[in-house]
This record gives sequence, structure tokens and C-alpha cells, in this order.
Amino acid sequence: MRSERRAGRGSLPGRQVRLTTTAVVTAVAAATVLAACGGGGTAEAGGVKAPGAVPELTDEPLTLSFIWFEWPPAQALEDFANAEYAKERPNVTVEVNTVPNANWHDAMFTQFAARQTDFDIAILDSQHIGEAVTNGNIVELTDFIEGNVETDAFDPYLLAAYGQYPQAETGQRDESASMYGLPLLGDTWTMIYRKDLIGDEPPQTWDEMISVAEQCQAENPGVSGLAFHQANGSDAAAVTYNTVNGLYGGNLWDPQERQIDGIINDEAGHRAMDVLVNEMKPLTATGSGNWFIDEVNAAVAQGKACIAFNWIAASGGLLDPEQSTLGESREEILDTLGFATLPTQETDLVPLGGMGMHVSAYAPDERQAEALNFMKWFLQADTQKKWAAAGGVPARTDALESPEFLGAGPFNQVYADSVARMRDMWNVPEYARLVDIENTSVNAALNGAMDPEEALDSIAVEQQEVLDSSGSGGL
Amino acid sequence: MARSLVVRARPARSSGGRVRRLVEVVLLAVLAAAMLFPVLWMLETSVKENRDVYAVPAKLVGFDITLDHYRDVFVGPAGGASDLSVALLNSVVVAGASTVLATVLGVPAAWAYSRFTLRAKKDQLFFILSTRFMPPVVVVIPIFLMYRQLGLIDTQLGLILIYTAFNVPFTIWMMKGFVDQVPSEYEDAAMLDGHTRFQAFRRITLPLLLPGIAATAVFALIFSWNEFVYAIFLTSSQEVRTAPPAIAGLIGGTTVDWGLVAASACVFALPVLVFAYLVRKHLVAGVTLGAVRR
Amino acid sequence: MVLTNEHPVQEVTSTPPAPVRTSRLGDRGLAAVFISPAMLLLLAMSVFPLLWALSLSFTNYSATGSAPAEFVGFANYAEILTSEAVRRRALTTLVYVVGAVTLQTVLGFGIAYLISRRTRGRGLLTTLFLVPMMLSPVVVGLFWRFMLDAQFGVVNSMLGSLGIEPVEWLTRQETAMVSLIVVDTWQWTPFIMLIALAGLTAVPRYLYEAASIDRASEWFRFRNITLPLVWPLLLIAVMFRAIEAFRLFDLVYILTNGGPGVSTETLSFHVNKVAFLGFNTGTASAYGILMVVVVIVLAQIYLRYLNKLKED
Repeated sequence: MRSERRAGRGSLPGRQVRLTTTAVVTAVAAATVLAACGGGGTAEAGGVKAPGAVPELTDEPLTLSFIWFEWPPAQALEDFANAEYAKERPNVTVEVNTVPNANWHDAMFTQFAARQTDFDIAILDSQHIGEAVTNGNIVELTDFIEGNVETDAFDPYLLAAYGQYPQAETGQRDESASMYGLPLLGDTWTMIYRKDLIGDEPPQTWDEMISVAEQCQAENPGVSGLAFHQANGSDAAAVTYNTVNGLYGGNLWDPQERQIDGIINDEAGHRAMDVLVNEMKPLTATGSGNWFIDEVNAAVAQGKACIAFNWIAASGGLLDPEQSTLGESREEILDTLGFATLPTQETDLVPLGGMGMHVSAYAPDERQAEALNFMKWFLQADTQKKWAAAGGVPARTDALESPEFLGAGPFNQVYADSVARMRDMWNVPEYARLVDIENTSVNAALNGAMDPEEALDSIAVEQQEVLDSSGSGGL
Repeated sequence: MARSLVVRARPARSSGGRVRRLVEVVLLAVLAAAMLFPVLWMLETSVKENRDVYAVPAKLVGFDITLDHYRDVFVGPAGGASDLSVALLNSVVVAGASTVLATVLGVPAAWAYSRFTLRAKKDQLFFILSTRFMPPVVVVIPIFLMYRQLGLIDTQLGLILIYTAFNVPFTIWMMKGFVDQVPSEYEDAAMLDGHTRFQAFRRITLPLLLPGIAATAVFALIFSWNEFVYAIFLTSSQEVRTAPPAIAGLIGGTTVDWGLVAASACVFALPVLVFAYLVRKHLVAGVTLGAVRR
Repeated sequence: MVLTNEHPVQEVTSTPPAPVRTSRLGDRGLAAVFISPAMLLLLAMSVFPLLWALSLSFTNYSATGSAPAEFVGFANYAEILTSEAVRRRALTTLVYVVGAVTLQTVLGFGIAYLISRRTRGRGLLTTLFLVPMMLSPVVVGLFWRFMLDAQFGVVNSMLGSLGIEPVEWLTRQETAMVSLIVVDTWQWTPFIMLIALAGLTAVPRYLYEAASIDRASEWFRFRNITLPLVWPLLLIAVMFRAIEAFRLFDLVYILTNGGPGVSTETLSFHVNKVAFLGFNTGTASAYGILMVVVVIVLAQIYLRYLNKLKED
């Protein structure tokens, strides 16, 4: 120790400092240059267009990689693709790589940011399209679709929802807009209700549903009237509010004017928030303020909810007798649980879920070609029917109406009936921040951390700020 | 010296001593129970049927035991090795290699810092420590971009390097403390006998440092074994992914197989626990060795 | 200076050290060889990315965008330092770090003290108490989330059997932060305990023996022998814990996701959102650099105090 101090006093601070400063400055300069290089340069990645016809395919062994998040449809897709696509293209292996749901967006876009992806086909939520397109991360498919996909066989909104940018108006497709993706899996909310507690017939209007739930809760101690998504992660609370907002005649924004403030928090919007926080929330279980898909399912499976709302694609486990206390077999459970489309109120809107397939702009040419071929194959009539039979939700109208689909599960009819009613959120590039604002504020209102009216107004103001600044700034 | 400690005498009472000991034992037992209960709960959950996992009120006893979850950890749905078992193996490789590497790099450096007078030693040491201050989420993108250039994305080597870089600072700091406690007189004596400084280090000091190395290695191992953020962003394929992202991936989507999560967590925790138990003597005794404090 | 009875200090050498057999490397060379590999690795893996982030912090770069980085000077820093949102997260982080580290220190030291009083089974006890620390924070978060669930959680079940109403641990502002602190304490108390135990067992027995010969009270022994000797080691452990708690991300992410609303969002959590929600890489880098600066400054002050203690 003593020798240390001596040495310390003896060292030459001046030269030391100068040396250190020079080193740091050099390193910073190098890093800046690298950053600048990393930022610019690859301009060709933005605006990659797929050709009108599928390019020549290789005969070499090839692995086509998807990226999705971890849930049963991912495994289903891999199995299905390897079983069926291999018949057409025996040299191709399909791999679906998965990440945890919470990291899904970040993991994909981090790879996009690096301008090199491990995956060839990205499965994006419809709301991510804007971000991916603006940054040039996915391939434009407009010309390709024209020659290779029978667009007449599809409900135009379904095509638009998973691929069009700029976003389509609810229920319509803009024929002149560009397309960047194709539907993979359709999804929407289903109402799940206890036939033994509230009867066979589901409520028809939202108000009716609330009073039925109230009564059911009063008559059945230990069972709560409602169960729905409230968490502040992913898009849980936001979708819940948006659904109620739509049903009570509200709007999320005016796309033409890019106006949110004044639109989302208009009278209908406030009414919807009031219904959500003051009428629906009291009918949920204690501590349900952070519920998402899994917790709602658990509540239903344990018999603790009269009426629940959840994504169809996530509801398959409800029929599994291993996980449920409602019955020893699938039939018994089906006797107890009913599935129906959402009740209506001012409108009959339901939330649009599901995902589309998009081609990574950074995949090598032969894999891009294979990806295009896969997508073309996937949207053919017979493939869509087989996908329905394998448990997927197809997008082709004839497949949706086919007995293979409708018979494959009790909620498939719900989906078929809901197609015409679906409404999506904004798919602008700033989507992630907009949904985060809405998620956290609605969650705060639901958990008593914020007054519901103030919450809605603050959502409007903050979202407007983000939209106006086009996402720059960041905080 | 003993005299200066006398202030006030109080006759020791043996009965008071016994009461005191009892209180201590009880306190210890209560604390141990509180600390271990969640772990026991996790063990219980890993052998419950999923139906019982969500039971309200929670079932502490009186449920059927099943080993299915443990089987599912290792055996995939198709019968071959499950993805989780591959992930576990990756964790072993990555954590083991980075711990060894951090020790190999850190111990000599710590010894050098302790023995030699170097310019701006304190600043160098502080600089080494400060590399741990950055929240990983901010550095992930530059590292990701760097790795892309070097082709280290989605490789075990990439993870090993970053984990080593994270463990080296802690290793150096902790080992320096241990080295400070080994008198340099031993080395001086050895050098008087004709050894070089390096030989003195190798033959005299290093064996005395083993307990310290063991203790430090445990910490390095824990960090590398459980790390999540870098693993999520720097690896994506099943072949390379380590266990924490794999286990986190069991959540979210549809109904969670909590039994499987619990079983994976238990299996995952076991190697580290075993290793710590093996070196438990050194964990505590390491610091007391040759304690000539400076 | 503390001496043990096992290794008495050698006779002070008044003669200068005899000429050493020269090896190919002098002391200087040996130091360089021993230190440089570690230094190089750190420079490449920690310093370089840090500097890169530093340079990015002066730009408005977005990692996903195709536009090159534009220099904006200190605009990012100004925005962060004046932001109400950041100030709120800073307060949350402060509450969390202070609360958690204090609790961990008290508990950790207490457990270490209790263990050090035992004569048998120390190794086993130590390992048992170490278990929480060995677990992955992701796993810990998931399981505590499950245990603290207001409906399905075992904690509320047990409270219910005592007649207490279920508590909304994770969804109410008041209790969410408490839950976070409790879980972090549960996981990291063993860290403090281990270091405190190491310090406690290093206290030479003869000091206690001398004290008991003079019939000193337990409290006296604790206050004048145990505490002063363990104190510096404990302070180092506290510093490490505080730094780690400041950087904490996994636990908040899994346990509350910053909720309800944003009331448990810490700085580390917030910077993750800024970095990956809008991919505002420039702003996020500035945020991260500021966090590092804060920690460096505080740590320097702390260490200076610590060195003063050692020299006393």
C-alpha cells in the first residue's frame, strides 16, 4: 500500500492524461465512422421488389427459415410445411425458429437493424408492417401477387390487413396500394361462456352481456363475471380498449388527417373507457390487472369465469381435459363451454388478429425465391384446406367455408362469422410506441393508478405527439 | 492489547447463553424456511398435474405426483432429444468455457495488480469495474452489429466472449482481494531461493489462491449460466440457444405448462447448485486463508 | 493491521533482496503479459461498444432506419435531463435500489451472523441459503409472479388461511414496488450473506477470546470487534449490489413489466423501451451513457470514502 502511494505521487499525471485523452478521442472517432458507415450505405435494401413470377428455384438442399414466437401454431406450421411442402419440393426443409412472445418484435427488428437476418420469412403482426416497410426490411410483393395469387378467392380485407401499406380502411382493400405480405393465420376474439351458468344462448348486445355477467357473478360465489386481457405488455390492454371503443361507436384515429387527439377521446371513446373501467373491471377477479392470454385461459379452465374473451388461436388448450376442471373429455367440456362471436352494440366491430408472412429483404436470392414459391403454394386452394384441417386458420374464402375448417374446432365458425366485422389498429411505423402508450395508460386506469378520463385524454395527447413527430425524439 | 478491551465486566450467564442459542436457531430456521419455500414450491409444482397447478386455493399437499414434466424436459414430443435438452447442453458449454476463460484471464491480472506498482493502478482498476455499469440493453445493438461483421452471431463463441468480458472485471476485483491476503513475503522468500517471480507465483501463490478462485468461479458461473438479455439477442437458432431464453420461451402464447417450466427450472438450477456445494468450504474459508491483512 | 496466529509475520528483512535469477521477462514484462489479455478483451468487448454508444448518443441515429446518422450535439442529453418521464423513472429506481439493498444488507448480515455462530453444518447451511442466488432471474421472476398472483398464487392462499383478504401484489401501485423489492431481496440476500460470512469467519478468534476473558458483553464484542472488521467488506458488497440493482432489467420485465401503468418502470427498463420500441438508438445511447456516468460518479465518491476507512 505504501509503495502504491509513492508510485502514485511519482507518476507523471500530465503525460498520462494526454495519452488517455488521445486514446479515447481516437476510439470515439473510429466508432463514429463505423456508426456512420453502418447507418448509411445499404440503400438498395429499401425498396426490394419481388418479380412478377417466381424466379428459378434451386435443386440443392435448402432450409427455409421462419421466425415466429413460441406458441402451438408455430409448431403446427413447421409440421405442416415439412409434411406437405416437401411433397412439392423435396429438397427443402422448413424450420420455424421461435422466440418468447415478449421479445418477438425486438428480436426480429434487431436483426433487421443489422441488415442481415437468420430468417427468410418473417411472421409479423399486422401492426408491424409500417415499421418494416418504412425501414426497407421486407420485400414488396405487389407485382408478385398479381400473377401468382388468386386475389378473387380472398376477402379483400384479409389480403389488405396482412400486407397492404399504407394501411387499408377498415373492411376494404386499396387496389392501387402496395402489398408487402400475405396472410398466414387468421385470428380474432371469441367470446367464451359457461353454458351451464348463463344458458345456451349467448348475449347479443354488449350491455346485455355485462348484466348477464353481473348476475352470474352474484349467483355463483367464487366465480367472476368476466375475464379479459388487462396486462400492460404486448398489446393486451390496448386491444381490449380498442374493441370496446369500436363497439361503442368510437374511432382510434383519422388516417387521412393523422389525427388522434379529439378522435379517440371523443364522446364515444370516453363512454367506452367508462364502460371498461366502471362496468367491466368490477366484474373481474381480484388481481386480474395483469392478465393476458394465459391467465384468461386458466380462469376459464378452472371454472372461475362466466364469460371470457380471448384470441381464437390461443384457445385450443381450453378443450384439453388435462388442463381443465370442466370435464373429463373434450365432449364434456364442449357441453359446458360455448363459443360465440362478440356481442354488438353501436357497431359490430371485432378486433383483427392473426399474422402474415413477409419476405426478408436480406435473405439471399435463392432463399427469397423459395420463400415466394412457398407463399404462392400456401395460398392455393388445396393447401389452404389442408392447413385448415391441420388446425390453422386459412384466409381463402372457400377454405373458410369448407367443412374441413368449420368442423376442425368449435371456434372456427366464430372466425368465419367474424371476418366481415374485423377492424385493425394503426400500422404506422410508430405503432410500437403508440400501442405502448395505450397499453400502459389503460392498464393504469384499470388498476386504479390513473383516473380513466385522464388516462384516455393523456393517451390522445401522447399518441398525437408521437404521430406528429413521426416517432423521432424517443422519450 | 487485551487490557485495552476491558470496559465493563458482566458475568456470563449460562442460562442466558442457552436461551440466546435457542433464539438464534429458531431465527435461522425461520429465515431458512422463508428463503427456501419458493424453491420447494417450485419443486412441488414440477411434479403436479397441470390441473392442480392452477388450483384455488393452492394445493400444498394432497395432489397426484407425476414425473411427466421431467420427462418432457429431456424428451421431445417426437421422441428424440427435446429442444430444452439441447439448450441445457449449450448452457453448460457456454457458461463453463466463459468461467474458465475469465479465471485464466482474471487471476494473473489480479495478481499483477496486487503485487506490482503500476501507473494509475487505482484508475485502471476502477475502469475495469466501470465496464459493468452499462445496462446491457444499450450495448446489445453495438455488440450485435460488431458480431455481425465478425460472423459471431448465433455462435457459442460469441456468447462465450461477451460473458467472459463481463466476468473478468468481477474476477479481477475479487481475486485481487484474495491475493492481497497472501503475503508477498512468501514470493520474496522463494525468489531469494532462486526462483523467478513467475515461478514463485506459480508454485507458491497459486495453490494458496485456489479457494479464492473457487469462490470467484462460482460467481462467474452463476452469471454466465443465468444470463438472458445477450442470449436472446445474439442467438436465435435452436442449436445454439442457451437455457434461459428457452425456458422463457415456454411462457406466452396459450396455456402455460407451468409443470414443465418448474421442471426445467429445477433441472437448470441443479448443476450450479452441485458445483457450489462441491466448493462450499472454499466459499467461506477462502478469505481467511493466510490472512495477513494489509 | 491484523495478524493471525497461524502465520506470524516473518522477521523483517533489513537486508535488501538478494539478486533474483533473471528470467526472460522482467517484472514489467510479466505484469504486461498477465494484464494485457484481460485488458484487450475488455477493450474490445466492453469499451469499444461503450464508445460506439457514446458516439451514437450525439446523433439521431435509428438502427432500423436507412438514413445515416446526423450529428445533433447534446440535444439527446438535454431531452433526457429535462424529461418528466425520466425523472419519474429515476425516482422509482432510487426507491427500489435503496429499499432493496438496505433490506438485503440487513438480512444478509443477520443470516451470516447467525450462521457464523454455529459450529456445525455451516457448509450445508451456506449452500442452502445460496440457492436463491443461483437461480436465473427469469425463472425467479416467473415463479414469484405465479406465487404472488392474487387468485392462483400460494402467497394469497396462505394469507387467506390466516383470514387475511387477498392482496393485489402486482397490480396495485403501492404493493407492486414492495413486491419487486421483496423478490429482489429474496434472490440477492445470499450474495451479501456470503461476503459478510467470509468477513465474519475471518475475524480472528483470539480477539473474541481476549474479550471474553475480560468478560465483555456480547453487544460490546459485536460493536467493537465484529462490526469494524466486517464493515469494509460489507460496504464493497453493498456497492456491487447497488450497481447491479441499478442495472436490473430481467426482474422488472418478468414480474410487473413496469406496471401497473408505468409505476414500477426503472431507468433500465425505460431505456429498453426507448431502444426497442421506436429504435431511437441515439436517444437510448445517450440515456445509457448518462446512467453510466451517474454510477461512475457515485461509485468514485463511495470508494474514496471506503479508502479513507481502510487507511484509518
